[in-house]
Amino acid sequence: MSVKTLEMRRSSASPLHDRPHERRLDQVDPYLLIATLLLIGYGLVMTYAVTVESRTLTGDPMQFVIRGALWAAIGIAVMVVVAMFDYAWLGTFAPLVYLVMLGLLGVVLVIGTSSLGAQRSVNFGGLSFQFSEVAKVLMIVVLAKFFADRGDKIGSPLTILGALVFLGPAVLLVYRQPDLGTSLVFVAIFFGMAFMAGARLWQLVGIIAIAGAAMPAIWSFLKPYQQARLTAFMDPYADPQGAGWNIIQSLIAVGSGGPTGKGLTAGTQSPLGYLPIAESDFVFAGLAEDLGFMGAVILFALYILLLFAALRVAFRARDPFGMLLASGVVAMLVFQIVVNVGMAISLMPVTGIPLPFISHGGSSLVSICFALGVLQSVAMRRPGAEIG
Amino acid sequence: MRSASRDFIRPNRFIAMAMVVVLVFTGLTVRLWDLQVTSGTHYRDLAEQNRVLRLAVEAERGTIVDRNGKVLARNLPGFAVTVIPVDVPRAKQVELATRLGALIARDPKDVSEAINVQRARNPYEPVKISLRPVARDVALLLTERGEMFPGVRVEAESIRSYADAVLYSPLLGYVGPVTEEEFAALRDKGYLQTDLIGRTGLEYEYEEWLRGQYGWREIERDAAQREIKQLAYSSPTTGNSVVLTIDDRLQKLIESELKKGVDQDLFTQAVGIAMNPQNGEILAMYSNPGYDNNWFINGITPEQMAQLNGDDRHPLVNKAIGDIYPPGSTFKMVTGLSALNEGVANRNTIVNVTSNVLSVGGFNFYDWRAHGSLDFVNGFAHSSDIYFYTLGGGNPNTGRAGVGPEAIFKYGSELGFGARTGIDLPGEATGIMPSPEWKQQAFDEAWTIGNTYHESIGQGFVAVTPLQLLNAYAIVANGGTFYQPHLLKEVVGPQGKVVFTQQPKVVRKVDIKPENLTLLRESARRVVTIGHAFMPNAKLPIAGKTGTAEFGSSAGKDTAGRNKLGFHNWFVSFLPKADNTDPTAEIAMVIFTFDSSRSLCENCFNPAVGMTQRILESYVLGAKP
Repeated sequence: MSVKTLEMRRSSASPLHDRPHERRLDQVDPYLLIATLLLIGYGLVMTYAVTVESRTLTGDPMQFVIRGALWAAIGIAVMVVVAMFDYAWLGTFAPLVYLVMLGLLGVVLVIGTSSLGAQRSVNFGGLSFQFSEVAKVLMIVVLAKFFADRGDKIGSPLTILGALVFLGPAVLLVYRQPDLGTSLVFVAIFFGMAFMAGARLWQLVGIIAIAGAAMPAIWSFLKPYQQARLTAFMDPYADPQGAGWNIIQSLIAVGSGGPTGKGLTAGTQSPLGYLPIAESDFVFAGLAEDLGFMGAVILFALYILLLFAALRVAFRARDPFGMLLASGVVAMLVFQIVVNVGMAISLMPVTGIPLPFISHGGSSLVSICFALGVLQSVAMRRPGAEIG
Repeated sequence: MRSASRDFIRPNRFIAMAMVVVLVFTGLTVRLWDLQVTSGTHYRDLAEQNRVLRLAVEAERGTIVDRNGKVLARNLPGFAVTVIPVDVPRAKQVELATRLGALIARDPKDVSEAINVQRARNPYEPVKISLRPVARDVALLLTERGEMFPGVRVEAESIRSYADAVLYSPLLGYVGPVTEEEFAALRDKGYLQTDLIGRTGLEYEYEEWLRGQYGWREIERDAAQREIKQLAYSSPTTGNSVVLTIDDRLQKLIESELKKGVDQDLFTQAVGIAMNPQNGEILAMYSNPGYDNNWFINGITPEQMAQLNGDDRHPLVNKAIGDIYPPGSTFKMVTGLSALNEGVANRNTIVNVTSNVLSVGGFNFYDWRAHGSLDFVNGFAHSSDIYFYTLGGGNPNTGRAGVGPEAIFKYGSELGFGARTGIDLPGEATGIMPSPEWKQQAFDEAWTIGNTYHESIGQGFVAVTPLQLLNAYAIVANGGTFYQPHLLKEVVGPQGKVVFTQQPKVVRKVDIKPENLTLLRESARRVVTIGHAFMPNAKLPIAGKTGTAEFGSSAGKDTAGRNKLGFHNWFVSFLPKADNTDPTAEIAMVIFTFDSSRSLCENCFNPAVGMTQRILESYVLGAKP
């Protein structure tokens, strides 16, 4: 099939989906790809560091590393396959995607397994899936489609309200697990995408103002442990052995890492169990302890590379849908990074949000890989990236 | 062909988004710089404090043994129950406290309170919950059913154990936990909050020798306070063994005689002390009633405490040194020595006791019989009161002069009355050695001749501890040297090396002519051969002096239903090497019975005399182990 034919087909009116094999893989965004692979590698190194020397975990410590590598392989495969398909298919099936997303979140509440007081994952064939991780990416697709379709009425309050109607059930379902952190990720995605879609700023500010005014009501709605986390964030030393403990221990871990760190696996806070959930929620504290300021800055550099590459993909996207997909992913990643790292250094209250790529967890990694596959698909199909 | 309209790209918003990314990472980086580069050292110290725990390693307290190595105080392995508050779920604390309280016999409320206090102090460090050593089966149950007792740990502990507890408690005392107030002062000396310290007796006196030196170990611990590995170790040093001058065999011989008398209600309390007059070593010291000092080690119960406090014989007081009594006729030794040394009397001084009463100034002063003509030896041997009234206070009826209260005070003080002997035990009483000056100060009254008479026969104001009396006779027995009585023979280090030997300590050479002391020794021997303390079938040349003092009411019963009889009986003795007057005695002994039966004395069968004979004959002539 010649290039000409493709061009002609693209320019015709009806659904314009190219076929997977018709795009050359060398059209991928190299910065996005390099950042992705390096971050996956960094994540595996940290999984190794945090778990291999752990004296509190029972069983074979290498199992975490092997499982992490397996998930990384699956994630990369997912990314490649997704990249090969035209992202426009996602738009086509957006209503279905939305139903699938709600279904997944509903399933978690019905048959999910409890861990640490929250019902967040579903066990399936010996593996446990956190469907809310997938749901975040699916929400990006749904919102991208919605905002793209209403591109000419983007300034209308109905657009914002409509998007909130789609967002609402997902946020509530996640909140019910309960997973306040992830439900806030959904909200962040909404704001990021609405902003990039061109929504009126006063509308966005208005929503924030209304939410702010409703804080007292929301506060009473929070569970006691969530309230405790927020008060502990304000003053960790008020209850150093209770709610403030995690924060203090995390600060000690990060601070004790110093400029260059104690050396990979040579940290003490993480292996000795002073960091709770050291392989996921507090993985950054372990990283900062082992690798120090230097290691953290390298991580930040990779994130910045990834985020700017993703923003470039958005900027060069073929259509609003592609641009919004990329923007949503950027919003999601930035929010998760800020909240997770901020939590470790006491700039944010404690919430169970994984640090992209670094936190150990298949659902998170594969979901992100899926999202980045979509971004590569957007990149490969940007105007001017055609073969020839 | 490019898509015609790119209106959907809003560059300003892209710039804003990019700036958000840059600002976010700048903020995080600045914060990290502050934490890691600026304050890195501070947090590194905190991480080390988290990780490294320095724990004391308990040191064994030294043993206490008698002069032949018989162990009187040792340490037994035992179990203590501790709780780490952080491992006790708050919701289950009450349930746990109830369960644990029942097992270790402690009020669940106290258990819960102890956990709460520690929770506030440091919830990661264990707090000792058991007040007394825990039985082995309880310890086993706690370890085997760990899931029922979250946060509960069973730890090995060393428990002080006293053999022959009641027999030796007046001497040894006991150890007890340091109080919070004491700890503040003792911390610098290396004591721990959970430490034990000698509370009384020799445990108190020789705390410094007995106490071991704690070792320590540094462990790496995880957040759950589990020990991960040992980083450093310094071994503890066991305390020194204290070897006493006590001879367990003699101690038990004294006990067998005196305890029998108390058990049969012949008397309610009894003291027996033996010492070596040649060096001041205490060979035995017995005080009845005693108490079981293991009670204090095991955590004394309110019932036990009430029992000890409710006994009006005061079992917690070592009567050998801690209480004072009128010495009775045993004090005639002091009156006699005063008169002899001041030249008022000599061995041939005759007093005609033609009546059993001496009337002076309208008062009658009695003797126990009309003895007839007595010289010094016979006056002493038959314990004539009128003979010693005359030596002490003279006889105004005949114009004869006595030696007077000032001289008696001088020689009494010289012989150690009215002052602590300085024995190595806490709680020694001073006693009273009266003088006219003393009476003036104490009562604002002038001394009378009646005071002199009473003092001359050991009644009235004079009051002594049994040890003071024994010590005075020991000075006579050794020819005039006041050795400080002591219980410490030597101190043996943990490796078995003698690190300290107690040398005899001369308090003073008494200012009494040797020939007068010789006459006293001769007279004391006559007490046994012809006089007041006749010993049938005597096998040893025992010398001594009896004493009987009447006090208070002789009627009724005390709170425990024992007969109140109102008599003390004394017999102070010494045993010369041969039947002569040489100052060679290596044993001196005092036997004192309190609240003795009047009937025992009316025929002058002082119970202490027979006991002394049996004890010394068994000790000196009996089979030695």
